[in-house]
Amino acid sequence: METKSRTLEITVLSGEDLRIDNKSVKKNAYVIVSIDTFSYKATKIDAEGGSSPSWNDKLVMDMPMQTRFITLQVKCKVSGGDKTVGYARIPVTDFIGGYSPETCLQFLSYRLRDPKGLKNGIINVSVRVKEPIQACSSQAAAAGLGLGIPIDGRKDFGVVTGIPIWSGYTYPSNSLFR
Amino acid sequence: MGNCCSDVSGGMSAVDGTSASTATGNQNDAVDWYFKSRGIYAPFSQIELSFSATNLRDRDVFSKSDPMLVVCIKERDGAITEVFRTEVVLNSLNPKWIRKYTITYHFEVIQTLLFHVFDVDTQFHNVEVKMLKLEEQQSLGEASCALSEIVTKRNRSLTLDLVCREEYVTSTHSQHCGKLTVHAEEIFSSKTTVEMTLKCLDLESKDLFSKSDPFLVISKLVESGISIPVCKTEVLKNDLNPTWKPVFLNIQQVGSKDSPLVIECFNFNSNGKHDLIGKVQKSLVDLEKLHSGREGEHLFLPTVGHDYQNKILKGRLFVEKFSENVQHTFLDYLAGGFELNFMVAIDFTASNGNPRLPDSLHYIDPSGRPNSYQKAIYEVGEILQFYDADKRFPAWGFGARPIDGPVSHCFNLNGSSNYCEVEGIRGIMMAYTSALFNVSLAGPTLFGHVINRAALIASQSLANDAKKYFVLLIITDGVVTDLQETKDALVKASDLPLSILIVGVGGADFKEMEILDADKGERLESSTGRVASRDIVQFVPFRDVQSGEISIVQAVLAELPTQFLTYMRSRDIKPST
Repeated sequence: METKSRTLEITVLSGEDLRIDNKSVKKNAYVIVSIDTFSYKATKIDAEGGSSPSWNDKLVMDMPMQTRFITLQVKCKVSGGDKTVGYARIPVTDFIGGYSPETCLQFLSYRLRDPKGLKNGIINVSVRVKEPIQACSSQAAAAGLGLGIPIDGRKDFGVVTGIPIWSGYTYPSNSLFR
Repeated sequence: MGNCCSDVSGGMSAVDGTSASTATGNQNDAVDWYFKSRGIYAPFSQIELSFSATNLRDRDVFSKSDPMLVVCIKERDGAITEVFRTEVVLNSLNPKWIRKYTITYHFEVIQTLLFHVFDVDTQFHNVEVKMLKLEEQQSLGEASCALSEIVTKRNRSLTLDLVCREEYVTSTHSQHCGKLTVHAEEIFSSKTTVEMTLKCLDLESKDLFSKSDPFLVISKLVESGISIPVCKTEVLKNDLNPTWKPVFLNIQQVGSKDSPLVIECFNFNSNGKHDLIGKVQKSLVDLEKLHSGREGEHLFLPTVGHDYQNKILKGRLFVEKFSENVQHTFLDYLAGGFELNFMVAIDFTASNGNPRLPDSLHYIDPSGRPNSYQKAIYEVGEILQFYDADKRFPAWGFGARPIDGPVSHCFNLNGSSNYCEVEGIRGIMMAYTSALFNVSLAGPTLFGHVINRAALIASQSLANDAKKYFVLLIITDGVVTDLQETKDALVKASDLPLSILIVGVGGADFKEMEILDADKGERLESSTGRVASRDIVQFVPFRDVQSGEISIVQAVLAELPTQFLTYMRSRDIKPST
């Protein structure tokens, strides 16, 4: 009845203020989008963009139901190899079960942190999930209700709660990136 | 020194074909400053009003009335100025006037129009309309409305009842003297822009020791054969096979898609005397064909000689990309059924002072003088109300303890526990005054709950695919206690069709609040590393207006249509269904 995975369209739009070794990135930045360690795709390289590259590259990936984060890794091709500029993790709840319906095109932006954990620029993406979840109402998840709480006396919005797909799912605390 | 700009780098840059220039309608800085200093904020639209009337009263004895319409504008301070007269239509009780009135639409002010229909007496029929003295004519009726009422109607037509005020009318005599219909058309609506990427192959080398530095100048040909430059690309150094950055042209700029254009390729020289490498003459339609056929057009050089033959060159012009985009205006979206929904949240924290004492920011003056909260609600609400179809506005208070309850950071102003909406601006005022005496002011000042409520409403509307854009007005007297909570709520809401206007009243130092307005600082960041995708907040301290000035709140409201358009355009949402 439920599909095992959903299709995620993620367009990596642009980056801002990227630096390597305390100097602005000059060129050749690209982004690797990973669902998990085995499932990842890379964008094109932006040869001219400098420290604010723009890729506008749409990647289509399969997202299994248990996915909790999408990881973005910004790298830069330099003569010695590829250097990592920074990471960002997108919790899936930011675009599924959030304010916007997931089939709607959503624009998200995240702070990048370099391998030492220091702030290093911002990355802008847009996401869209192809298939809507049948049994889950986005308003319920936004209201932060857990599993198993019956809604009889209606709250002000008059919304019916469905059953969230991931049981025992709570909002992940992103403590690594505090 | 030649025909180039002030300096070499200025001379090498692209002029007027960039996407930025089409966005502002090709106005330059001087024009922008001229308008801003007079309180006119771009983007503004020109509207043409046309008029017709039905069932006018018959005042003449032997024939029908000869009606003429006079339009006046009523300013904020009550002054009435006549601005327009139509022509006189002879012998008709259902006139359709031909003369149209052009008015500039300002989103941020209420433009009150007064209409007065006169019957022009026969003795004046050969007099110029503008010489007619209105006291000598007979009134057939009056009506009035706000310009926003007309443009928010689906078909942009508003029909008003004409009302007569006469001395000798008896009490049973009907006051209605027919109807007046006003129709609005936006001049220069939906601009169509063409985006082209041009390139050349095999250009000639014009420089002695290096290759040419080519750039293009696109001109339109007018009837007399003169060519008027429309835009020029940037200069590419040392390149015989150049591909320039995309060129954006407004179709209105060049006339039409069939208008002949001359594209000349010059070699840049820093002394200003640029050599012509070659040119082509094509219309936009021809360029589109070149693009779809993936062909190149050979450049030619006009030769001076008695056979007037053009020398065909080896170099060719290609059109790599050609796309047409329609840029819809704010009024287009209104005509397509889009709405702006107004929501308001009022600060009930104790720092405002006891409402029963005259020095409190919440003091309700028995003489009717509005307090700062009431003034702010009026200033924003009276403009936005026209854009809300059902005139039901969610209204909340925060920072107070409703009767026998814990402190609430988002309670319904109307006192209900089920629904949060009130009817009209008057409904907001009534709910506000009654809430003042039904809650005890407390604290702290937190916006997060109210922002989340507003975001939820916007999100439900989005799920229903409604064409609504929400504007939340938060009026507060103090600085937010938990700035991070507010930032978190704002970041989560930044992708919604929502704009938040925070107005600070009273004398507090609002320096910290300016952090929330990304215009004055950086993008907002939540505690989980997410960054706001749009700047949805504007913060403005409330100041009393001197007469004649634009209030600072209105200046901020003027930005709303732009925020609305940016949201719609970035998601490719078009006005028509």
